[in-house]
Amino acid sequence: MSCGNPTVEGESIMPRRKKYDKTRYCVRCKEAEGNIVIRHAVYCKDCFSPLITHKFRKGLEPSINRKPDLSRRTALKPDGNLLVGVSGGLGSTVLLDLLHRCYVSMDESTMPSDGGRQHPRHERVWKKVTVCYVEMCDAFPGMRDRTSDVERRVAQYAGLDFVPLRIQDAFDPEWCRKVHASRKESSFSVDMTTEELRLSAIASSSASTPLQALHGYMSSLPTATAVPTTVQTLVRLLLLHTAVQSGSSHLVLGTSLTSLAVSLISGISQGRGYNLKEEVQEEWVPDDSDEPCPPGSGSKQGGARARKPYVRVIRPLRDIGRKECALWAWWRGLNVVGKEQQPWSGAKQDIGILTREFITGLEKDYPSTVSAIVRTCSKVEPKGRAGGLCALCARPIQDGVQEWKSRISIRSRDGSQREPSPTSATLTPRLCYGCHTTLTSRSSRPAPSLGLPSSDRSTVPLPLWVGSGVPRSRLSEQQMKDAVSEFLLEGDTS
Amino acid sequence: MPPRLCALCNEARAILKRPKTGQQICKECFFWVFETEVHNTITEAELFKPGDRVAIGASGGKDSTVLAHVMKTLNERYQYGLELFLLSIDEGITGYRDDSLETVKRNQQQYDMPLKILSYNELYGWTMDAIVSQIGKKNNCTFCGVFRRQALDRGAASLHVDHIVTGHNADDIAETVLMNIMRGDIARLGRCTLICTQGEDTIKRSKPFKYAYEKEIVMYAYFKKLDYFSTECIYSPDAYRGHARVFLKDLEAARPSAIIDIIHSGETFEVKEEVKATQKTQQTCKRCGYMSSNELCKACTLLEGLERGMAAAAVTERARKKLDAEGPAPENLRTIPFYQQAHPPTNAAGLPI
Repeated sequence: MSCGNPTVEGESIMPRRKKYDKTRYCVRCKEAEGNIVIRHAVYCKDCFSPLITHKFRKGLEPSINRKPDLSRRTALKPDGNLLVGVSGGLGSTVLLDLLHRCYVSMDESTMPSDGGRQHPRHERVWKKVTVCYVEMCDAFPGMRDRTSDVERRVAQYAGLDFVPLRIQDAFDPEWCRKVHASRKESSFSVDMTTEELRLSAIASSSASTPLQALHGYMSSLPTATAVPTTVQTLVRLLLLHTAVQSGSSHLVLGTSLTSLAVSLISGISQGRGYNLKEEVQEEWVPDDSDEPCPPGSGSKQGGARARKPYVRVIRPLRDIGRKECALWAWWRGLNVVGKEQQPWSGAKQDIGILTREFITGLEKDYPSTVSAIVRTCSKVEPKGRAGGLCALCARPIQDGVQEWKSRISIRSRDGSQREPSPTSATLTPRLCYGCHTTLTSRSSRPAPSLGLPSSDRSTVPLPLWVGSGVPRSRLSEQQMKDAVSEFLLEGDTS
Repeated sequence: MPPRLCALCNEARAILKRPKTGQQICKECFFWVFETEVHNTITEAELFKPGDRVAIGASGGKDSTVLAHVMKTLNERYQYGLELFLLSIDEGITGYRDDSLETVKRNQQQYDMPLKILSYNELYGWTMDAIVSQIGKKNNCTFCGVFRRQALDRGAASLHVDHIVTGHNADDIAETVLMNIMRGDIARLGRCTLICTQGEDTIKRSKPFKYAYEKEIVMYAYFKKLDYFSTECIYSPDAYRGHARVFLKDLEAARPSAIIDIIHSGETFEVKEEVKATQKTQQTCKRCGYMSSNELCKACTLLEGLERGMAAAAVTERARKKLDAEGPAPENLRTIPFYQQAHPPTNAAGLPI
């Protein structure tokens, strides 16, 4: 827009910075004029497509076979089916499109040109591809339900199954029965007002509906940061269980390079440094032997000696920035459903949102920030021994985190008060540092108001998967004692 | 409504909300909890042995003033048996360091500790004022940071101490963790959460305030009525660090435990072995004998650039090449005196505190 003053126009305006460094021609074909600048390199539209499919395949294929194969000389034979987690956002829209082109519709332009039509790579890698969407509108009053929008988009691609879930399924015994086959039900509630997070069993008569349980849980969270973090954990676990249920050995997510950098820094800021590796790629083995086996794994190995099911979570867009994703969606004419803004008031106090704003702002002045973050995080590994998996997020717990916490921030003048009472079960020792912080760390501001119907109980129900370890470990202690009881001397009750 | 009681002693009236935990506590419990956490940090890391000679890096600012006070208090209360010194570096910044050094001199009287002041001018022949007049305000923090590190070691060597403690607080460390990740500085990322660093030839350096919040340090100084100098450096700070600092303050406002959570994250990972193998090994500078990852240490490179009128030489790769192209350093170039660490009589058999 002109300011109308002729003396400041023309030469006196600061020269516009060039968008590219050396040449305006594509660095690949060196003929066409470029259409996009990806961190200093210029690409034309024709060369952009193979570049993205190549990065996508490179991000996925070395992890398809059970044994990681970097050279990719062997055929791709996954142990089970494929589950695609979609959110309706840009990343998962691009992921779905690339995945369908490369592995379902087998678009030849996405494949390397050598090898001919009979080459084994022209066989379908996954027999069944399922798309799962978790609707979270019930956690936030005023949020629109987008299940049908997402379903319509998915239906545009032939050959994909669609599984819609709702976030309150995490509290639904029906869903639990569906994914856990014969598992015994045990549900627990937790008292989030104390550091110990005391547990109590929920009698089936007083059980609330899944929606009430979700609302109780969400409205007990102490900070604005805890809300989206909890939603993410619930969605992740719902997807993992659905993967097992659908016989999938692989779960792919549409996390782009940019979102990965944000989630790494946000994770570090929430004390999840021990799980940086899992944030990039993880392998989850359900702790129950009574989970249904993925069809691919059992049949080939022969019934009883079937391999334990596992789910490998892969983010094949982790080398592709948000800008490239946006351009792919634009050139391919993809329709992005988009994510709903969280309507509640605490969003500005959310570490996840603060991190995203900070990183995208920094990226403007320092264009390599996003890739530097991801590269740096790939050069570190967790230190020390892991002490099992976190009951809430199912990621490895570092040994001794609670001792560390109580030494660094003293909360009581009497050290013995911190010892959890042996008579009541507590959740704290079974949580990772990050999840414990999510449930207990408070801010000076009041807890976020989500506008949910408040619960009148002091304890709130936990997601149903948390129940599995608690009574079992206590029971097994008793069982162990029973097993050795005949060798114990009389009077020895220790 | 009755006054709220302290969450720690349940007796006295709570008068403050602890920034680190949000607990409402009384003044006495605040002193107790702040000092005890520092004591825990010291004993858990086994920082000292009885008889150790320890220099406190003192700038006259809040962190080092509180550090001197707390070190003296803990040394007496728990009988660490340490001999404490104050060590100050005079960077030569008129209107800033000259004033803050006055505070350090008062601290020397108040705490009854010997004080040593070493100046950049004495060691390098340059004051920061002179450096800024040659290179401008951009990048001057690079010079100051590199020169200070070496100056502290040299000052400590002349005091025959075997340990320097600095006032780096939890906010500084959390900020450094974030910065090193964003800049991809793997070597520093591995080091920055260590409480104590020691190369083969260098003096031990540690940070007893590693887990102490900046806000609590200010609070401690306020309630103890400590005498400190609170002006920011007049030369512009590192812009990148500034971004990280603003971000960290936002995180702290969103959830106060964020600072300690970031440090915890930093402590839970380490650099992969295969990456470590590609890092440069430590050697000694051929010109001044100080530890270095290249033939010439960073301070000597910076000084050579200043002396030859090409101060950007150690800051950018291009300028370094230009400097090399102009031939070797002249014979009469001003250099830093050769570094030799004095080996003090230590209580080698003593058990850690």
